[in-house]
Amino acid sequence: MNNRARLLDVIDRSLNGPIMSEKDFDMKRVHKNIKRVVKKYHIEYTQDCFLSNDYDLMDRAWDAAVDFLASCGVYSKDTGRVIEYSEREIREIMSWAPGHLVVGEGQDAVDVYHRTLDDTKLVANMGAPVGIPVPEQYFEPVVTSYMQEPLVDIFNTPTVETMRGRTIRTRSPLEVLAGHDEWARLKGIAAKCGRPGICMQGTVISVSDVGHLSSSSWMGKGDTLAVGMICELKVDNTIMNKVADAVLHDKIIMGYADPIYGGLGGGIPGQIVLTIAEMLALYLVMFCEIPGVCPTHPLLFVNDTKEQIQICSVAYGAISRHCNLMCRLTTCLAGGCGTKTLLYEVIAVNMLCCKSGFSVSQGPRPATGVVSGNMSGLEARFQGELIRAAAKIDRQTAENVLRRCYAMYGDMIDQKPYGLPFWEVYDVSTVKPKDFWFKMYEEVKEEAITWGLPMA
Amino acid sequence: MDKKYEMLAEAIIDGDDEAALEATDALLNQGVAPLEIFAECIQETLNELGEQFAKLEIFLPELILASDVVSVVQTKLKPLMQATTSATNVGRIVIGTAYGDLHDIGKNMVSLMLQVNGFEVRDLGTSVEPKAFIDAAEDFDADIIAISALMLPTLPYMKDTIEMVKGNPSLAPKIKIMVGGGPVNPMWAEEVGADGYSNDALEAVTKARELVAELEKGGQKE
Repeated sequence: MNNRARLLDVIDRSLNGPIMSEKDFDMKRVHKNIKRVVKKYHIEYTQDCFLSNDYDLMDRAWDAAVDFLASCGVYSKDTGRVIEYSEREIREIMSWAPGHLVVGEGQDAVDVYHRTLDDTKLVANMGAPVGIPVPEQYFEPVVTSYMQEPLVDIFNTPTVETMRGRTIRTRSPLEVLAGHDEWARLKGIAAKCGRPGICMQGTVISVSDVGHLSSSSWMGKGDTLAVGMICELKVDNTIMNKVADAVLHDKIIMGYADPIYGGLGGGIPGQIVLTIAEMLALYLVMFCEIPGVCPTHPLLFVNDTKEQIQICSVAYGAISRHCNLMCRLTTCLAGGCGTKTLLYEVIAVNMLCCKSGFSVSQGPRPATGVVSGNMSGLEARFQGELIRAAAKIDRQTAENVLRRCYAMYGDMIDQKPYGLPFWEVYDVSTVKPKDFWFKMYEEVKEEAITWGLPMA
Repeated sequence: MDKKYEMLAEAIIDGDDEAALEATDALLNQGVAPLEIFAECIQETLNELGEQFAKLEIFLPELILASDVVSVVQTKLKPLMQATTSATNVGRIVIGTAYGDLHDIGKNMVSLMLQVNGFEVRDLGTSVEPKAFIDAAEDFDADIIAISALMLPTLPYMKDTIEMVKGNPSLAPKIKIMVGGGPVNPMWAEEVGADGYSNDALEAVTKARELVAELEKGGQKE
């Protein structure tokens, strides 16, 4: 079935599935079924390591997630109905997931591959300050700091705080104008940096469907689209309008969902199941060819605590072993620019990414991704170097490196080591890192080499 | 906690409403006053659950189930303690996400933690228009409007709501506004005139208590 026919099928299901209140969906479908499958498939994380090598657990988690999704479905908030798929349908549709895509154009085109757990194929570096607020006057230097990095393969933009001095509000003409402005600026900066064909993800400023669709004409063939699912396992017409437009125009969707650790999925076992199921749902219902689901901590707002790394290690290991999805890891980290904490965290999450079957590493988002101006291209460069180094080491070495890093940042997470904004860590006129920030990066790199990472 | 409350506390923790109603009946038959049941058992159990959630020893579903059981028990007890109802509710809050924002898990956690800590909460859901917040607050006789947002371009609607309350002389003295969510920070909250900001669900409870206390001090809440 092609995507257009399948889209109509999804819409039909959203109009004809069982009617249910949202609260009943949360408790009777999501919570109850997670509890059931965790017990039925014995989902339990008993290892102490960060990077699981319990392949049997991964396989059970996959079966549990398919069983769970078939009995839970995806809730359509606008129709008040559940979009349902049988286990057989889920397995069949997942078998259609492409294992390879080319994003970007011309010299800037990049291959994105489905990866196995210890694959030596490189993860694509989506080194980007995704959605972090940035004052308008710093938008250009901030974006330049990333696009000028040769190891950045794909870009995703920060959220500009104003447009020509005006506060942007969703569902208004300002949002429509801001969407166009964002694309025009991004394309201009990419050309200036000599990366005219770099794959860009749009449109970050356009939250609503109207803002999004009006600026989608800017998207090139090699660009991708960001569409988020509402947690847990919910869509609405705003989301599906964006999806419908993307399907009609054959655009690649890099969808996402960010379940809350400790939320409806509960602790580690339930989160493993939920993470897999949400990845599957992103492909089934939202046609995301490069989806990403990262459990977020409810109090720390990061996704690199030990528990979260363990969840991702099993969940993405399961996906990697059972279907061709190209998975994306998006990282929200506690450390901000100008701190070594951030750099240790970047190492840790990229060990996870490279050794758990991910295809794309997106971020890092320093200072939990919400502090205005807290981002710089240097950490994206570091990420690109780490991806290359990680491809050359075995799983056990990656585990050891991750342990070393966690020892350096684990206790710092709740201290909010937010560091400094871009204009304090970079020379804004030359768009080069300031000496102290560059020195920190070099020192951590040296340290990583002593831990066994073959960095250039 | 007194041993006589064990069955009810256990039923709340297990999310078992039938057992909770049975245990409540048994306590009433023993002559325990409804207000005592609330203060000495229900509130204490909920506080304990709240603390466990703060340490992630229990998770959101357990809180939801416990909160549902407490609602059922409260419905039974309320007619029996008309005169003392206000003593069991520490404040009334309408809550929702800013207009255009569909992300509600953070808001749901805050809503639940407020309920668990004795607030009466009317949850307006997601993408709530500024006027809808005001109408609901008036209808519910709320002390606080709580607004959450995840997406930056939805913040102007948060500001609109604050301005609509602060610009209305009959509402401004009696309704406090608290805000939170990813792109919100204390500086922004202060700048737009919010009365309170909270970083997470736990802080939200503390801040809501402070705001209600301010209203009481100012004579705007009985």
